[in-house]
Amino acid sequence: MEKKKKMTTWNRMQHLDRRYIYIVVAVAIIIPLLIPFNTPTYVTEPTANIYKKIDSFADREDKAILMSFNHDASTMPELFPMEVSILRHCFERNVKVFTLCFLPQAAPLVDYAINTAKEGYDVTSGVDYLNFGYRPYALQLPIILGMGEDISEALETDSEGRKIDNLKIMENIRNYDDMNLVIDFSGSASIQTWIIYARAKFGANIAAGITAVMVADNYPYLQTGQLVGMLRGLKGAAEYEKLVDVFAAYKDEEYPNGRPYSQEILKEINVPITAKNVTYDITDDEGNVERVVTDRELQYDFKKARIGMNAQSVAHIMIIFFILVGNIGYFITRKNKQNKLG
Amino acid sequence: MTLNNFVAAFLTLCIFSFLYKENPFYRFGEHLLVGVSMGYAIPLIFDTVFIPYVYRPIFLDHNYIIIIPSILGFLYVFRYTKNLSWLARYPIVFGMGIVGMSVPMSMHSQVLVQMRTAMLPLDNINTILIFIGTVTILLYFYFSKAHKGLYGKITNIGVWFMMIGFGASFGYTVMARISLLIGRIQFLLGDFLGLIQ
Repeated sequence: MEKKKKMTTWNRMQHLDRRYIYIVVAVAIIIPLLIPFNTPTYVTEPTANIYKKIDSFADREDKAILMSFNHDASTMPELFPMEVSILRHCFERNVKVFTLCFLPQAAPLVDYAINTAKEGYDVTSGVDYLNFGYRPYALQLPIILGMGEDISEALETDSEGRKIDNLKIMENIRNYDDMNLVIDFSGSASIQTWIIYARAKFGANIAAGITAVMVADNYPYLQTGQLVGMLRGLKGAAEYEKLVDVFAAYKDEEYPNGRPYSQEILKEINVPITAKNVTYDITDDEGNVERVVTDRELQYDFKKARIGMNAQSVAHIMIIFFILVGNIGYFITRKNKQNKLG
Repeated sequence: MTLNNFVAAFLTLCIFSFLYKENPFYRFGEHLLVGVSMGYAIPLIFDTVFIPYVYRPIFLDHNYIIIIPSILGFLYVFRYTKNLSWLARYPIVFGMGIVGMSVPMSMHSQVLVQMRTAMLPLDNINTILIFIGTVTILLYFYFSKAHKGLYGKITNIGVWFMMIGFGASFGYTVMARISLLIGRIQFLLGDFLGLIQ
């Protein structure tokens, strides 16, 4: 009978069944979701730039943004919180917002995002927001080019079949000069179509809400200034959620409709996600924290990305640990083999 | 727990079962996804493409010029025949024409603007790094000279820059995949089991 070779601990780890790793990663994600904890969310420049651009359209009749939904349900965990946050921002700050999609699977997601975001807001379709609905992918190019001339000619009707020319939201909105920011949400390279046609030909401002997989591919567009800003995966969504809570959704006597963006305020304030209501933890120069609890409920859908980022952080630490252990094991095993060979 | 949440949770678990090993539940979930996607898309496209862009202009508005592009589009169907499959090349030709139209604008956004922003004054660490990275990677892809000696060392720097780029891509890919898992677990724990309020 063949004698079984004795395996060292490192050898065993090198041959560890991958299913154990799946279990550990699953546990590392489940626990932070069940027991959320407060971690600071740092807002990066590409996210803040989109926020500031949208905020500059607040209360303006002659400016609007377009949200292009170019994804299906498979990328919802990353993109959906971004979409909801941006819609909330628009509803809070009275920014006209249009939605559009070129994928059949995206059509119900547009409705889902609008219905989720508008809960608690007194907004009306055709006045505060408008869904152009699904348009065939084959018409993407003529529509993008056509909107540069006249939106109501390029699209004619909205998702409910109404003539968009007759709707109040279309007053003072004609082309990319007025609908001055297009945000494309996608897990693919669809942003390039907007950059190539709407940006290069008409000078429209373009921003991207993309899955983390696509981030590295799109950095050159950000670096060259062809993108106003970029929301990068779940982290970008978490950053935008925080910005909306700190500025757009903030209410007091001085700012009844939200306060303007300020880097200083952002540095001082954290919004704890474990609180039921929107809460501001304000840190002064000496490091003392003052907690201000508002009477507004912080819905789960409005903090979903930030709670998700807790789980993301724990999972990343686990993965880094596994990579380190795997590499240490590999080098020790290799050294042992070399020693044996002499 | 609603019925649609129950169905979604069951199908999620069917797909996750692949992590243990290939099994009939996984295959059922996979095939159902393909079938449902097609089943959803066909009537939607019929309703939002065929009716407004073919049926209504020709039969209701009597705009007969639409018959020409409709016939051209219909030629795609001949791909399924052995003898007449060549007819499908004609609509493809029109598609290629559109690709040609994008060339000048693609050159602008993907080449010229990128080149312009790579030619900045070397007055900070970022522009210096961009300069070194761009030059060394371009030299790496110049294959008319052997990568030996000093030239080889310079192209090796380009390889390091590319490796860092691939590492960043991989890191983001891990983040994306974990995000998808988080989304599913948020659904299972929240919408399905009601453990997250």
